[in-house]
Amino acid sequence: MTKSTLPQSVKVARILGALGIVGGITFFYFRIFSVNNVTVALSFLLAVLTIATRWGLIAGLVASVASMLCLDFFFIPPVGSITIADPQNWVALSVFVVTAVIVSHLSASAKKQALESTQRQNEMERLYTLSRNLLLLEVHGPLAQEITNSIAQVFELPGLAFYDRTSDRIHRAGPHDIPVDAGKLRDTALQGTVFHDATTKTTVIPISLGGQPMGSLGIQGSQVSETALHAIANLTAITLERAHAQDVATRAEAARQSEELKSTMLDALAHEFKTPLTPIKAAVTSMLSDSDLSPTHQELLRIVDEETDRLNSMLTDAIQMSRIEAGQLQLHRSPQPLRRIVQAQLEKLGENLEGRTVTVEVPESLPPVSVDPEFIGIVIWQLVTNALRYTPPGSPLTLRASAEETEVIVSIEDCGPGISEKEQRRVFEKFYRGKDQRDRIPGTGMGLTIAREIVRAHHGRIWVESEPGKGAKFSFSVPRPPREFLL
Amino acid sequence: MTNARILVVDDEPQIRRVMSTTLVARGYMVSTARSGEEALDKVREERFDLVLLDMNMPGIGGMEACRIIRSQSDIPIVILSIRNAEKEKVEALDAGADDYVTKPFSMPELLARIRAALRRAPLASSGTPDVLDLGQTVINFVARRVTVNGTEIRLTPKEFDLLRYLASNPDEVIPHVKLLQAVWGPDYGGEVEYLRVFINQLRKKIEPDPSHPAHLLTEPWVGYRFSPSKKGSGTV
Repeated sequence: MTKSTLPQSVKVARILGALGIVGGITFFYFRIFSVNNVTVALSFLLAVLTIATRWGLIAGLVASVASMLCLDFFFIPPVGSITIADPQNWVALSVFVVTAVIVSHLSASAKKQALESTQRQNEMERLYTLSRNLLLLEVHGPLAQEITNSIAQVFELPGLAFYDRTSDRIHRAGPHDIPVDAGKLRDTALQGTVFHDATTKTTVIPISLGGQPMGSLGIQGSQVSETALHAIANLTAITLERAHAQDVATRAEAARQSEELKSTMLDALAHEFKTPLTPIKAAVTSMLSDSDLSPTHQELLRIVDEETDRLNSMLTDAIQMSRIEAGQLQLHRSPQPLRRIVQAQLEKLGENLEGRTVTVEVPESLPPVSVDPEFIGIVIWQLVTNALRYTPPGSPLTLRASAEETEVIVSIEDCGPGISEKEQRRVFEKFYRGKDQRDRIPGTGMGLTIAREIVRAHHGRIWVESEPGKGAKFSFSVPRPPREFLL
Repeated sequence: MTNARILVVDDEPQIRRVMSTTLVARGYMVSTARSGEEALDKVREERFDLVLLDMNMPGIGGMEACRIIRSQSDIPIVILSIRNAEKEKVEALDAGADDYVTKPFSMPELLARIRAALRRAPLASSGTPDVLDLGQTVINFVARRVTVNGTEIRLTPKEFDLLRYLASNPDEVIPHVKLLQAVWGPDYGGEVEYLRVFINQLRKKIEPDPSHPAHLLTEPWVGYRFSPSKKGSGTV
């Protein structure tokens, strides 16, 4: 802010005042109270000093010239005439002029400094208020307009325009519309340089964060310093960025919640379906254990029983999938002998093996692995079930486990039709079903995805090797913990 | 064992129907309850030999009902639940259940579990003393009574059988499978978490310092071992 120029009348009044004071002193010493000339000169000097301090340079100069003239005319002999012939008078005049100039200059600069520091303090206070207001702004409301209003209000601006580049809209605030068009605001935002128009007293300043243009601010009037303007622009940029970040976080949270809701619903639905399955399974197995059944009835009941199991396993898949997708895969790892996990799963499969011989090659010496036995059990179950589904009854299966240097590898090898190279890459995808099997063999297309997700959670790998016509070999690995962890 | 009295608790009418029909046909006496609250009333009024308790019911639910029944009685409780996560199993066993069966179940399997829950382990071999004095804890195998510092404490039948089996083979490491089959029955073997929960409960009841057991010792990877030493009991 520059010092505002005083009205003409005030200047004239000050000059007249200065002359009046000098006249008053002259009258006093000449007519009322006679003293020696040194005292008179000192009194004039005092008057010039005071006038220069209070009323500025012009009044000070007028006072010094008048003082010199009066001193010369009324007090210094020859009294009643102006002669500057005497070098003494030249000295007196010079002293008055120099005093007036130096004092008025000093006082003016002190005043200016005081004024500036008050202004700076004032601006700091306003910036602080603005930053607090912007921080408290509700980011989900009409943010850009709120920012504009807040700046205009805190800095008491006559007119303010804020161009928001994200929405490409201009927001205005203050009692006057500032004479800056949309084009100027847009250009400034993109070019990143401050624009100043002296005739309309408008300044347009770009808003950017990390080199990224975000918009521009147009301000009318010269009451805000450039430093403060830059601070306002930065505050605006930070507020916009904060809103943007919150927006992104809110959206991510909403997406996560919707995914979670989907999983919760799938889980609830699957459990609902299991409720009626329970009396069906109980009734049919109860009847099957009756030895008086005719072979026909026994066969028919067995079909009901098997289909109940299938429905149940599909629901179990859906529940497992929903648990994995909801991010609820919390592993409870502990050192486990793989042999026991494999054995437990094969026992569970029992009759589903349909006369297949399963060769288990899991050496006793296999080091224990740090896994969640429940989930690794599911992986083995899924891989074996998958093999059973796609191979003819009676064909052999081999389940092998071996310890490598950094991991333990488990593989399930079948003698089925195998998987083409193209399909090998897709079998672990969710809902993917082999092209030839899609219609012939029942399944949900979730089993291998479940297995993959569990293995991944264990920081292991899962893969398939196959040659069409010669069977498939599904393998997964889990990292071997360093020895000390197992002791 | 026939004419044992079984209370079937489930909010699903069809499940109560199929259970009643099947269990009655097998010679059991069956009573049903629709909710945890009703089950608590029935257990208070009548004497049952076993409770089949559904986990997911409106009202106080199976878990809470199990806890309340267990606080009042040593009756065997078999939980039936649709959830099969290990966490839920352990929680149910902690609440005092003797066994946990996942729905849907096959009837022969459930019947085997019921028989196992009703079964009392036969008296151990003749080498076992009638009374085992561990200092603070005294176990009377004949009367099926345990006292700690003179006060009698209650053990569920399965807890008692587990303790008796371990105590009758002192200082011998008993593998998980052997222990499960001896106490629950031949159909068991994979339910290592059962042992973990039951041993913990026993430790809380009979060990002077349950977090530093002196008698019921874990043999990592293998099983459990009973140490009859009186060390630390102050009466050596």
